[in-house]
Amino acid sequence: MAPYTGIPLSPAELSYLHTSLSQDPPIRPDGRSPTQFRPLVAETDILPSTNGSARICFPDGTEAIVGVKAEVEKTRAAGQDVIRGGEGVLGLGRGGGRDVDDEEMEDGEGNAVKSGRGRDEWVEIAIELPALLADAGLKDTLWINNRFHWRLYIDILLLSQPLSYPLPLLSLTTHLALLSTRLPALISEQDEDPLFNDDWEASTPLYPRHTNPSSSVQQHHIKPPITLLVMTVGPAILFDPSADELAVADAVLALSVAQQLPTDATSKSSDQAPSFKLIALRTVDPPSRLTAGGVPNTLNTTTTTTTSSGTSGTMGSSQKKPTAGEVLAIRERDQGTSVWRPPRGGVSRAVVGRMIKAVVERGGVGWEVMEGLAGVET
Amino acid sequence: MQADRRRLNAPPGGTAPPVFATAPKTKLQRPTRTREPDQHRKLFLRTGIVPSASGSAYYEIPPQQQQQTGLLVPQSSSLKITCTVHGPRPLPRNAAFSPNLLLSTHVKFAPFATRNRRGYVQNASERDLGAHLETALRGVVIGERFPKSGCEVVVTVLEGEEDGWWAGNAEGRGGGWGMMGVLAGCITVASAALVDAGIDCVDLVSGGVAAVVQAGTDQRGDDGVVAIDPAPSEHDGGIRAACVVGYLQSRDEVTEMWMKGDAGMRAEQLIDEAVKAASLTRAVLAEAVKEAVEMKLEKVEGNAVAAASVKEGKGKSKDVVMTG
Repeated sequence: MAPYTGIPLSPAELSYLHTSLSQDPPIRPDGRSPTQFRPLVAETDILPSTNGSARICFPDGTEAIVGVKAEVEKTRAAGQDVIRGGEGVLGLGRGGGRDVDDEEMEDGEGNAVKSGRGRDEWVEIAIELPALLADAGLKDTLWINNRFHWRLYIDILLLSQPLSYPLPLLSLTTHLALLSTRLPALISEQDEDPLFNDDWEASTPLYPRHTNPSSSVQQHHIKPPITLLVMTVGPAILFDPSADELAVADAVLALSVAQQLPTDATSKSSDQAPSFKLIALRTVDPPSRLTAGGVPNTLNTTTTTTTSSGTSGTMGSSQKKPTAGEVLAIRERDQGTSVWRPPRGGVSRAVVGRMIKAVVERGGVGWEVMEGLAGVET
Repeated sequence: MQADRRRLNAPPGGTAPPVFATAPKTKLQRPTRTREPDQHRKLFLRTGIVPSASGSAYYEIPPQQQQQTGLLVPQSSSLKITCTVHGPRPLPRNAAFSPNLLLSTHVKFAPFATRNRRGYVQNASERDLGAHLETALRGVVIGERFPKSGCEVVVTVLEGEEDGWWAGNAEGRGGGWGMMGVLAGCITVASAALVDAGIDCVDLVSGGVAAVVQAGTDQRGDDGVVAIDPAPSEHDGGIRAACVVGYLQSRDEVTEMWMKGDAGMRAEQLIDEAVKAASLTRAVLAEAVKEAVEMKLEKVEGNAVAAASVKEGKGKSKDVVMTG
């Protein structure tokens, strides 16, 4: 078992796995299809003292709990932080400030009052989930009035050791928790100090689940974004890779997708599958690059000594040990065809394009995952 | 009261930082992009600047045009990055066996690199940049040729790109677009330093960045244009999505890709433009590497000539006068 990777596979096993995964269609060790996910255990609303919570357990034993807490906070007026000393520290420490207001949305329509007033800093997570902050809709729902806003604390607890790359697990759990998050209903009006309804039944969900056409279309009925891990082996594109499969990956990508707001055809979008857009993408360093390469047969001391021992002594003297340069040349010529060699280089753009398409397209994997998570019962 | 003589004391009265008053007539004007969307800023790259490291490089995007106003503070940020490579060198004795070169990257902004002071310890965004850089470099380095060895890539950002125009409104700033330009520079400079250190690579990796920027300020319906090498101060709040790639031109492959923001249907176009930017920087990178090699060769030849002349006994070495 090679250290630094935690992959308990020999070069021969890696080579076998790589070959079977690069077949068309790929043969995965657990018999799944390329886009099939492993069955997972998920539940929501498990923590009574949070606004929303979820738990997901992946079959490889990794498990995470997410709790979402919301607090009312006074809004700092823009530009005020420099003048007022006490709060200025917070403003300065933020390193340039990440408060983004979407001006394009604000000045567009009169009825979309709330849009474009949210700020990044109202959502606080300890680790950076790439997509969450990019979701403009979430920030806008946190706006209460001109003086107050909700501040969301999304706390993620990874219960198990991260056996494989934990980003999808955390992202899916956060997605579920946010879906189940409810905020108390506001009963005060306008710019008063906010007063909320005590009745939890009357609380409003952060992400409304069902769109009823009778109500005025309030900003979004879209869902929080999710991040998926996709890997390539040769020509094959595999979703939800297990730790074994990641050990032979040519390239691994983390793709974050969100639902797209229906642009014009509002009535049509309800019965059709929602469209998805890519909001973040990053490559992930595959653990396969740290695996040990195999030794080609021509260089193997055990096989070469058996052949030389079979021949006479005079022949054996001619079969000298190859120099370092020759060994290198033989290894290069082998190109990883006969034995396993850690992958080199990157991924071609065409493959990236195919990966994006497989996630984003109508009825694609992104849609499937979101539908699956929407069906989770409390 | 007795002053404490054992340490350097702060001035008793405290000091006030200097405040530069702007002349009343100066009008702050946001810098605008005068280049074409497919034009990269001019950049400077040189390798071999740190003698004690096995490889090093310096990368700079200087300010492109003379500043018009009489301000001391530059209107648009420039980018200055140094990179040193230490290694390949043996792993410490107590380390476990590694069949490959263990590459570790460390990206740090100097405390004075941006308008907001950075601390001495790496923060989350710098660590994230390090992870991105590591992904970009791991793909090119042929690790199995250096078993049981490690290599450190240390990148210091002397002057980083801002996320927006400093005099602009606070809402326009942010989004972390400056970091993407910095990452593209980091990839290029680290690649040059790796070559300078003589570490085997499959290709030269070069960084490129492209962004979907809004053409006008208040056109809502417009799709924006895809511009390569965006300077965030020139597009204040107008950047919608950006993409950085680490690109291997001769293999036509991407080792690192980082996309952020809502590119919509133009994701693939954005990637292609970023790749275009990377191929433009690669031209400079290849030139810088070639230059360094030529200089090294000259030096070797010069040494050979000097050695030959010493053998003949009529070299300059005779004329050296010992002093002291």
